Amino acid sequence: MKKNRLCAIINLIEPAEALLPLTEQRPLGTLPFAGRYRLLDFPLSCISNAGINTVALFLPRNGRSVGDHVRSGKDWDLDSLRGGVFTFPYNDLAVVAAQQQAEARHHFYDNYIQFLRKSGAEYVVILGTQNVNNIDISALWRYHQQRNNEMTTVYKFLPAEQVAADDQVVTLTEYGKATSILPLAEANIPAAATMVPKSLAIHMIDVRRLIELLQEANREGQAGGLNLVLKHAVMQNNTSAFEYTGFQANIRSIQDFYAANMQMLLEKNYQALFFSERQILTKVKNEIPSFFSRDSQVENCLVGTGSYIEGTVTHSVIFRNVLINRRARISDSVIMQGSRIGAGTVIEHAILDKSVVIGPNLKLIGTAEQPLVIGKGQHVYQQKEVVTQ
Amino acid sequence: MLGIILAGGQGTRLGKLTKSTAKPAVPFGGRYRIIDFTLSNCANSGIDTVGVITQYKPLELNAHIGNGASWGLSEQNGGVTVLQPYSASDGEKWFKGTAHAIYQNIEYIDRMNPTYVLILSGDHIYKMDYEAMLAYHQAKKASLTVGVIPVTNEEAKRFGIMNTDETERIIQFEEKPEQPKSNLASMGIYIFNWATLKKYLQDSYATDGSLEDFGHDVIPAYLEHNEAVFAYAFDGYWRDVGTIYSLWQSNMEFLSPNSTLNIGDRNWRIYSKALALPPMLLTESAKVKNSMIVDGCYVAGTVTHSILSQNVKVGENSVVKDSMVMPNAVIGKDVVIDHALIGERAIIGDGARVVGSNEEIAVAGYREVLGGEQHEKE
Repeated sequence: MKKNRLCAIINLIEPAEALLPLTEQRPLGTLPFAGRYRLLDFPLSCISNAGINTVALFLPRNGRSVGDHVRSGKDWDLDSLRGGVFTFPYNDLAVVAAQQQAEARHHFYDNYIQFLRKSGAEYVVILGTQNVNNIDISALWRYHQQRNNEMTTVYKFLPAEQVAADDQVVTLTEYGKATSILPLAEANIPAAATMVPKSLAIHMIDVRRLIELLQEANREGQAGGLNLVLKHAVMQNNTSAFEYTGFQANIRSIQDFYAANMQMLLEKNYQALFFSERQILTKVKNEIPSFFSRDSQVENCLVGTGSYIEGTVTHSVIFRNVLINRRARISDSVIMQGSRIGAGTVIEHAILDKSVVIGPNLKLIGTAEQPLVIGKGQHVYQQKEVVTQ
Repeated sequence: MLGIILAGGQGTRLGKLTKSTAKPAVPFGGRYRIIDFTLSNCANSGIDTVGVITQYKPLELNAHIGNGASWGLSEQNGGVTVLQPYSASDGEKWFKGTAHAIYQNIEYIDRMNPTYVLILSGDHIYKMDYEAMLAYHQAKKASLTVGVIPVTNEEAKRFGIMNTDETERIIQFEEKPEQPKSNLASMGIYIFNWATLKKYLQDSYATDGSLEDFGHDVIPAYLEHNEAVFAYAFDGYWRDVGTIYSLWQSNMEFLSPNSTLNIGDRNWRIYSKALALPPMLLTESAKVKNSMIVDGCYVAGTVTHSILSQNVKVGENSVVKDSMVMPNAVIGKDVVIDHALIGERAIIGDGARVVGSNEEIAVAGYREVLGGEQHEKE
């Protein structure tokens, strides 16, 4: 591809309250996932694999965890001479006081417009991090050009029972156009439908058109953000719909996050997401190999590097640099990087955020529906400190 | 101080493993290549300019080193430079020996304009602070300092042995002596005052060209001319992995959590070219004991006291025991691997047996395909 015909926006302004305490100190996009990734790695990799050089990251608040992870964008080949990674922190109108809305709104829209103008691109693809997927953006781009509409939106057919009432679904015409993106409850989907076209919140649009739409939204005093601008654009009846058929997981809640990690333990999902021709890239680390001791027993697990395992671990996702001491028994759990588990401790159906320390001989028991969550950096040394949600 | 790593050796004693790559590029310890130890030591010792001299099959090594960024060695006015033989108006400049290789690269070294030159081998496994060795070199006002390590009397017969006086000054050098007088073996690590070394080399190549090799020619010449040559004793973990057996044995030592190499020490990390591979997947049928595994691996079989490198697959009912498997090797189902080194991208077909012993380690070469013709067609 000739450089810079296509640029990308990753919108990290996404609902994250349902994932507290995991999202207390980070946007949804830097939530660790599947043993070594952050959710942000998936859109970044898709962008990189499509040969895109210019990417904007729009953040709700401070971007420390995003900056730490992405740095120059080198690990995704996004540090080229032309283009690069541009970050726009504090770009969320929802956190601005009412009397400052007008001024903030102008900056809010202007950030997008300035980025789009400077990119020199003809088309822009907009993605979020809530949907874990590995979309082929080159194919989406070809489709967008063939259909000759101003905009293309992406959906995936999912079994009706997997789509919640407030999930966004795409209304399709018989000729493959999209006419609206609405919550399932308002979308007028026939009750008998077994498969529902769920929106993946991925859009491709002509840059000039998006600039017009943003200017219009600013004039009209809209405070709903980029996603709302795009949703309104779909209703203007000039949007193509592109079907995605690969792996996807939608991270709306703790339960979703837990279930998506557990899904990665299924070989078909692991192979589909990580061994496709489009590699998922992430920040590389110099960890040592993981060590499994003589008495360790590890089955049906994903394990990152740099871990040291002496205990028993089954059906769990273990991130980088985790220490699991002797006689500890861990099952159906997600243990993030840098955590330490004491000897003889039993952990079932739990999520341990980064750098958690659990003392010896404790019991941390959650359920598949309500996994027990321990927040980032917490130290738990006594049974009475274990609070079940 | 400028670092020069001699990485041009073929490593003939590693047989099939170095048929298509240089010895320093041979994988080690699951996620390293042998040269990573020397490169990381340079980076950790604060040496930010390193020349790597290559000659034999350099493709893999060059790809691995890249611009040196993986070791933090990509500074604007320094970093890693790969030095390969070249041709010039006065003929082709293939390297005939270690000292000759330095002579052929005088232009590069002069351009970096160092006071001291640190000469290193790219094929040893160890962690060493070269800054401390330089401080010793300066304190002794030495012209040459040789890194030495104590070995047993038996081993001494295989090494270059340095005989020193009470001030640690080297008074005699003996190559592979029948009756060793000391137990200090040369590690192939030298700090030279560049101006002096350059003069020796230029004088030699202006006349008879006798200074081809550091151990064999340069050290004796220095001693003969009464240069101040000192021995710097190193007492940590150090292994020369020049043979199949020593490569296998060093890997097995690396596997021990009590190894004095202390690979997990975060204050002296060994860096390597890191790849973004998925975490390893151990399936329900996996049995892993006393082993090291890295990312990208898929294990459905039994792995005992072994190291699996990146992207290694071990199929169901297969057993890998007391072995080291190099990156991207694929091990099918019902395979037995015992006391073996499995080369990069080797394919071990279903039902195959690669079984060695303590006396003779079994080897599958780089990209070698063994057994299981049926497997490919499925």
